[in-house]
Amino acid sequence: MLFKIAWRNIWRSHTRSLVVIGAIVVGVWAVIFLMSFSDGMIKSYINNSIESEISHIQIHHPDFPKDRDAIYVMDQAAALQQSLQGMEHVQAATVRSLSSAMIASAKGARGVQIKAVDPTGEAEVTRLDEKITEGEYFSADKKNQLILSKRLAEKLNIKLRSKIVLTFTNLNGDITATAMRVVGLYENDNAMIEDLVVYTPLSDFNQILGKEDIAHEAAIFLKDPEYLDTVQAAMQKQYPQFLVETYKQISPEIELFNSQMQISTIMFTVIVMLALVFGIINTMLMAVLERIRELGMLMAVGMNKVRVFFMIVLETVMLGLVGGPVGLGLAYLTVSYFNRNGIDLGNWSEAMRQFGMSRIVYTTINPGIFIILAVAVVITALVGSLYPAWKAVRLRPVDAIRRI
Amino acid sequence: MKNITTKGITKVYNPDTIPVVALDGVDLEIGQGEFTAIVGPSGSGKTTLLNIIGGLDKPTHGNVVISGTDISGLSDNKLIEFRKNHIGFVFQAYNLIPVLTATENIEFVMLLQNRPASERNARTNELLEAVGLGDKKNSRPAQLSGGQQQRVAVARALAPKPDFILADEPTANLDSKSTENLLDIMARLNHEQGITFVFSTHDQRVIDRAHRVITLVDGKIATDVKQNPLK
Repeated sequence: MLFKIAWRNIWRSHTRSLVVIGAIVVGVWAVIFLMSFSDGMIKSYINNSIESEISHIQIHHPDFPKDRDAIYVMDQAAALQQSLQGMEHVQAATVRSLSSAMIASAKGARGVQIKAVDPTGEAEVTRLDEKITEGEYFSADKKNQLILSKRLAEKLNIKLRSKIVLTFTNLNGDITATAMRVVGLYENDNAMIEDLVVYTPLSDFNQILGKEDIAHEAAIFLKDPEYLDTVQAAMQKQYPQFLVETYKQISPEIELFNSQMQISTIMFTVIVMLALVFGIINTMLMAVLERIRELGMLMAVGMNKVRVFFMIVLETVMLGLVGGPVGLGLAYLTVSYFNRNGIDLGNWSEAMRQFGMSRIVYTTINPGIFIILAVAVVITALVGSLYPAWKAVRLRPVDAIRRI
Repeated sequence: MKNITTKGITKVYNPDTIPVVALDGVDLEIGQGEFTAIVGPSGSGKTTLLNIIGGLDKPTHGNVVISGTDISGLSDNKLIEFRKNHIGFVFQAYNLIPVLTATENIEFVMLLQNRPASERNARTNELLEAVGLGDKKNSRPAQLSGGQQQRVAVARALAPKPDFILADEPTANLDSKSTENLLDIMARLNHEQGITFVFSTHDQRVIDRAHRVITLVDGKIATDVKQNPLK
């Protein structure tokens, strides 16, 4: 009977109850959508970083990461690449030589990072070949080919197939200038990479550097990131002379970014739920205050305070139990739609690219978020009901009955 | 023995600021099966006396003994329990639960007593018939007239089989016809089933039907007269 009374009491004031239920629906929907959107953005950032820049694992000479000096090389790079490609859980592996350089054109000069890559290996690990939007990828029969970003080409006013000069330090410490021909222009979701990185084939570049079959970096892409730590340990065991690092160690900002997003999402959830708590308190207090005489009568005829308290709590929780599932359902529909179709942040794409994020964000569907929100709504309703319920049981029937 | 005894009941409101003496040493004995009206001008203490007898309020001094239990010293929770099983209330403003039907309003009190469903159903039907509302079982209070609502309130008060019914100005909001109808029902229940009714009232029609009329003036019993009711 208490359930029946509580349920019917909710619908005594349709408008008021619908406003609270609406607030719960919007709150639940907004939190889930924001969480899924943030999660999608983080995943897009991490995936972009892994796919086009860092890969899952990198191997260097142990002294190389400190000051990135070109002399810290790994010898027998081809054999290393082949061995890594054959390891368990590895989808693709490639080796690179790296060098800081000055690129100069008639319009100006800029500092860039040369990534001298194995064309086949690089295409498998970072899909560089697919990112070429103008011109073509490296071909085996040409010498001194250079690929740079379309953005950088525009900045330096460099045309496709034009020859430009790159200046860098070779392994002997001498400053070397070499002319290269622009064969292709690439585009990347990360504008910072576009401004900084130019590509050239590894074998040609090693000759200019002054030593054959060397690399500064090996990049490994895994079939399943789940085995990240296992593969890292196996590689470190096989190559104790090198430094084997995961993307988490190489770019700790990824984890920082991840946790920062999580913290702001939690704060957003708490703020929304707090706002809901006050909305619920307001509504339920009104519901109690306009029923003072009725509550007094209930206590007069023998309804004890525990039952009165429980009835008010029940009414509030029922509001949550109506609003919660509707909000969850609505959120599921929205999130799964944008999970399939993505949200095109066209207007902010430039800003997004500066931070290495795709302009299309695919929301993630995380069942954990739905469970958390379902629990949060019930807790919010419970917390919101406490004050009105306490107010109800504090009534003295003798005063309450006579209240107009 | 189902009776009410008060000894030296005094009730003082605002004892620390501007004391108002609502009852001043009331000694009273109401026996089983009585049909008693407590009358008096406004502010004479009728409602206060009824509230104290019903365990809704506590006296400043004195004792109230109901069916052998001194309720003056009971805690709030024990008083609620006591009221549930021993006292039926009929209020001036009906005070039914608006979201429940007539049947559910009557059944509700028995649910609080944890009576089995079969007993609840039988008694609810019996009471609705007794107050002449057998055809309004599924009507909610808003669908009933004032007189019908007050009859449901009487049925609800009777449902838990209390020792007696306290009715605070039960006819104040009713027209003549509904008043007569309600008084007929209560008189019949009193006569046939021996149910004790105690009213506080201004209404001459109620006073005329009472077997005993207690008049309060300034919180004291001025007269206590037994009479032959008009009907």
